[in-house]
Amino acid sequence: MTKVKICGLKEKQHVQAASRADAVGFVFAPSKRQVTIEQAAELAKHVPVDADKIGVFVNASLKEIEDTVAGVPLTMVQLHGDEPDELVKAIQVPVIQAFSIRTKEDVAKLKRSLADYVLVDAPGTDYRGGSGNVFDWSLLDGADIDPDRLIVAGGLNPGNVHAAIEQTTPYMVDVSSGVETDNRKDTVKIQEFIKQVKGDSVEQTLEKVGFFGKYGGQFVPETLMKAVKELEDAYNEAKEDPEFHKEYHHYLSEYVGREQPLTFAKRMTEAYGGPKIYLKREDLNHTGAHKVNNAIGQALLAMRMGKRKIVAETGAGQHGVATATICALFDLDCVIFMGEEDIKRQQLNVFRMKLLGARVESVTKGSATLKDAVNEALRYWVANVEDTHYLIGSALGPHPFPTMVRDFQSVIGEETKRQILEKEGRLPDTILACVGGGSNAIGMFYPFIQDKEVELIGVEAAGQGVDTDKHAATLTKGTDGVLHGALMKLLQDDAGQVQEAHSISAGLDYPGIGPEHAHLADTGRVEYRSITDDEALAAVISMSRLEGIIPALESAHAIAEAQKQAKQMTADQILVICVSGRGDKDMATYAEKLEGLS
Amino acid sequence: MNRLEQLKSSGNKAFVAYVMAGDGGLERLREQVQYLQGAGVTAIEIGIPFSDPVADGPTIEAAGNRALKQGVTLQKVLEELKSWTFDIKIPLLVMTYLNPVLKFGVERFATECGKAGISGVIIPDLPYEHKQLVQPQLDKENIKLIQLVTLTTTDIRLDAILREAEGFVYAVTIKGITGSRDELSQDVKMFMQKIRKKSPVPVYAGFGISKSSHVDMLRDDVDGFIVGSAIVEAFNAGKIEEIEPLIRAVTTA
Ligand SMILES: Cc1ncc(COP(=O)(O)O)c(C=O)c1O
Repeated sequence: MTKVKICGLKEKQHVQAASRADAVGFVFAPSKRQVTIEQAAELAKHVPVDADKIGVFVNASLKEIEDTVAGVPLTMVQLHGDEPDELVKAIQVPVIQAFSIRTKEDVAKLKRSLADYVLVDAPGTDYRGGSGNVFDWSLLDGADIDPDRLIVAGGLNPGNVHAAIEQTTPYMVDVSSGVETDNRKDTVKIQEFIKQVKGDSVEQTLEKVGFFGKYGGQFVPETLMKAVKELEDAYNEAKEDPEFHKEYHHYLSEYVGREQPLTFAKRMTEAYGGPKIYLKREDLNHTGAHKVNNAIGQALLAMRMGKRKIVAETGAGQHGVATATICALFDLDCVIFMGEEDIKRQQLNVFRMKLLGARVESVTKGSATLKDAVNEALRYWVANVEDTHYLIGSALGPHPFPTMVRDFQSVIGEETKRQILEKEGRLPDTILACVGGGSNAIGMFYPFIQDKEVELIGVEAAGQGVDTDKHAATLTKGTDGVLHGALMKLLQDDAGQVQEAHSISAGLDYPGIGPEHAHLADTGRVEYRSITDDEALAAVISMSRLEGIIPALESAHAIAEAQKQAKQMTADQILVICVSGRGDKDMATYAEKLEGLS
Repeated sequence: MNRLEQLKSSGNKAFVAYVMAGDGGLERLREQVQYLQGAGVTAIEIGIPFSDPVADGPTIEAAGNRALKQGVTLQKVLEELKSWTFDIKIPLLVMTYLNPVLKFGVERFATECGKAGISGVIIPDLPYEHKQLVQPQLDKENIKLIQLVTLTTTDIRLDAILREAEGFVYAVTIKGITGSRDELSQDVKMFMQKIRKKSPVPVYAGFGISKSSHVDMLRDDVDGFIVGSAIVEAFNAGKIEEIEPLIRAVTTA
């Protein structure tokens, strides 16, 4: 479907009116629509996370452009002057180059552009950067421009945009003066323009806000719709409140002990004989894993919503412990559902939760593991929805959970990015993280998604092997299906019954995968591989002895894959592993499985 | 004509019975349906078992697990329905979670339901916002997609849902999941009155209806009642005749 860009925004209310647009534009060149970096940065806070923020420049220097990209921040740059090819190439983010079209010769010039996208506009009048005149769309006929690169602008308005799309089938349409009244943006016209391009069904709105490609959504019983929508509103509002961010970061640093180091693993680097290996140390968090980042964020949000009762599910018990911990800290009522199987595997964490004052409910239904614990937690939420928040532990569930959990875990990737730039002056070549539901991985990956040169690899649990029926390799073996409120990839039989997953690691023992991962797998941006129980156990020994760090069984999957990956890399490359948690909780399993270790 | 369209004109209160297909063996379904039709119910919901029935309480979940153990699938249930030759005069509905439908194929699901003589479909984990996923396909077969409303449905959504409601509206009488509860709250009464005023189609109360005292309390505020767990339990215990007074209490008073 053709995308929409609303350009030349200067006021918050107009940015908000453009919330269904795919991109918004800020003009930094002299124009009646010009904004400063500070103004744009303020406006950018109101742009949905998945929309592009595009800066418009006319003959600016690379430094000016780079400062603006970093300051706002922008995700794309649009050039409207006579910028040389060197500048186009030097810009790190995707570039749109604009051309004024009068004649067929202008079209030929446009075809030679090195930019990622070309924008066609009618010739400017007093200012460069769009004039509002309509250009002759038929000039594009037979011009053989790749429609996936083409952005059409110039005199579009709600009345003619439909025809423009029919005639030119562009990647995106761009409008500015066509949604103004008396030289000022007009909320009604902005919305009408977007509606003309996208249609106005609720479906299509949701497609933008609750979905990653086709995955995601809010597939929950009617009883939960109100709670899910309230949560969506509350999160949207909190996300934009600097006070909320301040509080969240306060607890991350003062209570969890962030930021966590990005440790250079010298002996692993030598032993694996390939790239320089760095470890992101989520194992050092208070409570021993990344789960607490999300638990704090959601608990703060719950209190903001006036809810002081928390229900959660847990697999390995790490999320249960994190939730019980935060509930103790904030004096919240806490119920944790945990599969009977997992209770056996993770005795220590069960005791911890109880010590922290949580009620642990054993789930004996189904496979008695994480999936069934989520079912029971959802049921509990249905019955207690008025005063209870469901603090889901992974990037799963109905919208807004997958987005919200990702945002709360993105601190992992944000820190990593800052740290690697400090240490190495460049981004890593490869990043690895294990995936259960997908929260540590998406938190690590998300800040790098736009950095196409960084290879991202998610590692699932192959259990006893992906060709046996005892594995949890959802992306390798799963198919599209709806479970726990979202369309995602699932292990299921031919009749659509969800199958049991198997992994030695309780935290990866889940038959689904978060919707954003399903989408990233489809688009190929992230590659997903799998590691068996035995390989993971071997990696536990390897890392413990080489670095003096005993990893969680879940994290060991990423480490095992890193060892394989390192063989295909060279000494001048950099590899980062997300060590999502420490191995204390797995000591009973290690003692049993690694008995006789010498 | 779709049999659900005749419901409102009938005058009496409706009694919609829920059965779990394949609980006790799929071959029992035909006798169960025949029995209920004979006992005077207005319509029958045929439940399809699912591995993760988050909108159901323990009784129906347990029945679903028994059916799954017998290897019951959506396809087998539809095949079974298509094979029936006895006379069915009342509307039959399929109640299933979304995932088995997606796996089966939405288009195919709609045509097979059409061939099996199904009048309506209820999908508890498919909210109004996502109903376009199956609505166009069901429309083609003239099968109604029944919408649920609950005490927690906001007024804005309630209006939207009711504007497009077809067949009947399934009004959830308790906040929680299916299952028999002893007390029905007083809010329920007002909630029913509100819906009934706005709804273009009959309003049936369901979830938690198991005794005639529930029926008496809401009789004036709804067009009918949906009874699930009590029937599933009675069939499982081999005591289905004990449900007959409840059917009579609804349909004949
Ligand atoms: C240490 C650790 N890593 C990873 C996971 C997997 O979860 P996710 O994929 O959401 O990060 C868990 C889950 O319990 C965990 O405890």
